[in-house]
Amino acid sequence: MALLEIRALTKRFLGVTAVDAVSLAIERGELVSLIGPNGSGKTTLFNCITGYLPSDAGTIAFRGADVTGAPPHRMSRLGIGRTFQLVSVFPRLTVLENLLVFLQQHQEESFFGRLVRSPRLRRLETAAVERARSLLALVGLGEREGMPAGNLSYGQRKLLAFAAALMPDPELILLDEPAAAVNPTMINQMKDHIRMLHAQGKTILLVEHNMEVVMDISQRIVVLDHGQKIAEGTPEAIRRNPDVIEAYFGR
Amino acid sequence: MEDLLEQLLHGLTLGSMYAMVATGLALMFGVVRLINFAHGEFFMLGAYAFWFSFKELHLPYAVAGVAAAAAMTVFGVVYQRTVIRAILDRTWHVQLIATLATSIVMTNLAMIVFGTQAKEVPTTLSSTVITVGGLRTTWQRLLVVAGALVVFGALHWFVTRTKLGKAMRAMSQNREACAVVGVDVQKVALVTFAVSAALAGIAAALVTPLFNIFPDMGALLALKAFAAVIVGGFGYVNGAIAASFLIGIAESLAGGYVSYAYKDAFAFLFMIAVLLWRPQGLFGRRIGI
Amino acid sequence: MGLPWIVAAAFPGQQRYLLHILVFTGLFASLALSYDLVVGHVGSLSLAHPAFFGIGAYAAALLATEAKWPFVAGLAAAVLAAGAAALLIGVPVFRLAEHSLAIGTLGFAMVTHIVILNWVDFTRGPLCVTSIPRPSIAGLAITTLPAYYWLTLAAFAVAAVLYRALTTFRLGRAFHAVRDNEPLAQAAGINPLKYRMMAFSIGAAVAGGVGALYAHYLTVLCPEELTISLTVTLLVILFLGGVGSLRGIVIGAVLFTALPEVLRVAPTWRLVIYGSLLLAIVIRAPEGLDALFRRRAPR
Repeated sequence: MALLEIRALTKRFLGVTAVDAVSLAIERGELVSLIGPNGSGKTTLFNCITGYLPSDAGTIAFRGADVTGAPPHRMSRLGIGRTFQLVSVFPRLTVLENLLVFLQQHQEESFFGRLVRSPRLRRLETAAVERARSLLALVGLGEREGMPAGNLSYGQRKLLAFAAALMPDPELILLDEPAAAVNPTMINQMKDHIRMLHAQGKTILLVEHNMEVVMDISQRIVVLDHGQKIAEGTPEAIRRNPDVIEAYFGR
Repeated sequence: MEDLLEQLLHGLTLGSMYAMVATGLALMFGVVRLINFAHGEFFMLGAYAFWFSFKELHLPYAVAGVAAAAAMTVFGVVYQRTVIRAILDRTWHVQLIATLATSIVMTNLAMIVFGTQAKEVPTTLSSTVITVGGLRTTWQRLLVVAGALVVFGALHWFVTRTKLGKAMRAMSQNREACAVVGVDVQKVALVTFAVSAALAGIAAALVTPLFNIFPDMGALLALKAFAAVIVGGFGYVNGAIAASFLIGIAESLAGGYVSYAYKDAFAFLFMIAVLLWRPQGLFGRRIGI
Repeated sequence: MGLPWIVAAAFPGQQRYLLHILVFTGLFASLALSYDLVVGHVGSLSLAHPAFFGIGAYAAALLATEAKWPFVAGLAAAVLAAGAAALLIGVPVFRLAEHSLAIGTLGFAMVTHIVILNWVDFTRGPLCVTSIPRPSIAGLAITTLPAYYWLTLAAFAVAAVLYRALTTFRLGRAFHAVRDNEPLAQAAGINPLKYRMMAFSIGAAVAGGVGALYAHYLTVLCPEELTISLTVTLLVILFLGGVGSLRGIVIGAVLFTALPEVLRVAPTWRLVIYGSLLLAIVIRAPEGLDALFRRRAPR
């Protein structure tokens, strides 16, 4: 059973079919990239999978259970983490708090426990802070934990968002253009992080324009064009696929 | 049966009034993306301007009406130049609070200047009851409906045939493109405001002979106009007009057959009901006016 | 809080008036805190607060005068009635997009006003509910002004403690996350609707409680108490005092409740000034004010 199974997913906007009956299966532990020219429907597909856009047809199943139409907060609780194309943080919370927010929903708490701050809650909080600090150290933001996230540079925010998505230890991680708009050093950093996650057994799906990154780290590549899946395979196979070349260059 | 028809006619009158006010609101939202919480006060000031021209200056009805519309047009321009320009590029929360604040200032200034006693402006047209096809009504009510039709016709011509009007339409569809192509965005915004305010002034001149004038009359009217705009699909003028008539008729029928005291609540209930059923409004989120 | 004694010593002969102002300020500060919960901490621009204040006030007033309920029971009923109303209206209204929330809540406030004004059989409408008895808690009658002052102080303390509890630590974080970046909050597993409803109904419940205390204090309750002017006053307290800050709101409440009372400014002029101030600050405000409302980061 695939970890994430998408069957004939369709999404239309005012007469334009952005995602056209796309089917996709991602197995546990895979590192898959979703590519395609601008306007091919990659981000729309992403937003449908993560619950931000309701789909018009088709199904989405996670761990075998149907999650079509589930809202984003439920997808998060089920174990799907994501980053956003335009880097998204909580600007007025500190760097540390940005991470803590991502874990608190995943720890059990009662309503009054929240108000009263029971010892149990304090223990959960301490554990969360420890985990947050280790992730911050991993991405190199450890020294800025008390800073409001709005004061970080773009690249630092990207790393923060990445760390935050990892806080609840999701099984499936969706990365929306992790290599976009950052310098080459950061790109290498990102690639290392992604590889490390993969080595830990995480399942990763990424949308990316940067071909070098895609070819370098992906196990499998799925190509969309005009909302349809036109090719799927190993980096080598995709590199030589005439349909893919046509889609990118042949217009 | 006559009773029902009379209620329907009354509903058309109400609907015409709401439609003229709602159109102004829809234009402002559609073209300039602004939520104007002070729009009810445009109507209120127009009503006082009309009262002043008609009752105090003893101008003939038509002239007083034009004077009210003209006064409101000037006011609309002033309002745009002062308050609106400052908040045009801010978040809608800021626009809401700013226009809400303006509304309160205007209402209370009106209370100070004009007093809280209601004023009446009966005209010969509104005080004589006539019979049309077996239905009792007044010329004034028919004038309101006729006036609204004329106004909408003129607006339609303006938006489809004149350069400025077409620019307004273009801006409601794609503001960035307009700026790039060389449309004077500031001028179009100004004209939009002038037109919206004038509409409120005309509506006031037509309608005030039928109702009393008092300083906080704007609030309830604005709420109903907002309900119409939301139900019609924010920014879609034809939708707002259609919704206004629906609300006017519903309110009239409800006031006549259910409860007169609570008739004002029906617009709100209608809005909530529609939104629960179709959150995007009856006509959906159309782009453009 | 020996403040009144200090001031009373400085202005002898004015004690009663001073205590009266302090009671008013305390009530309004509590009300402002409950409003700030919704506007400042979870970022929902609700215009319905006067309605909840009024529902609580009328519930307590009518239960005390008609059904002869004891004060504490009436107060509890006021709090629950207001909270329940919030849940009822919140469910449809929070599903509305953006600006529609403001208009929906405004509509609710206006309709509540209309109903209270017109349902004369039940609420006495414009004739007002009169002879509302002074509160009595467990046999202790609160009839003197100083006693009422202590009651208000206690109420304010409760409101302040509740405010603190709800806006710090994990719950505060969740509220602020929903306010500052709703899509990201969703990605973090937070259900925005749940948290908005929570803030909204708790804010409403507290407002209802303040309404009850207000009704018992004035012993007369009229429909004019719940109009949009109240919202504007609250917004002014929030924005000029300091949104999201306990201390700022207390300062705002003092400025905009005590000062006008002391200066005996007429209500109409008061509102003209408040409106102008609100307009000015909202336009001129430093980035902080806009940032408060920027809850959607670009995606």
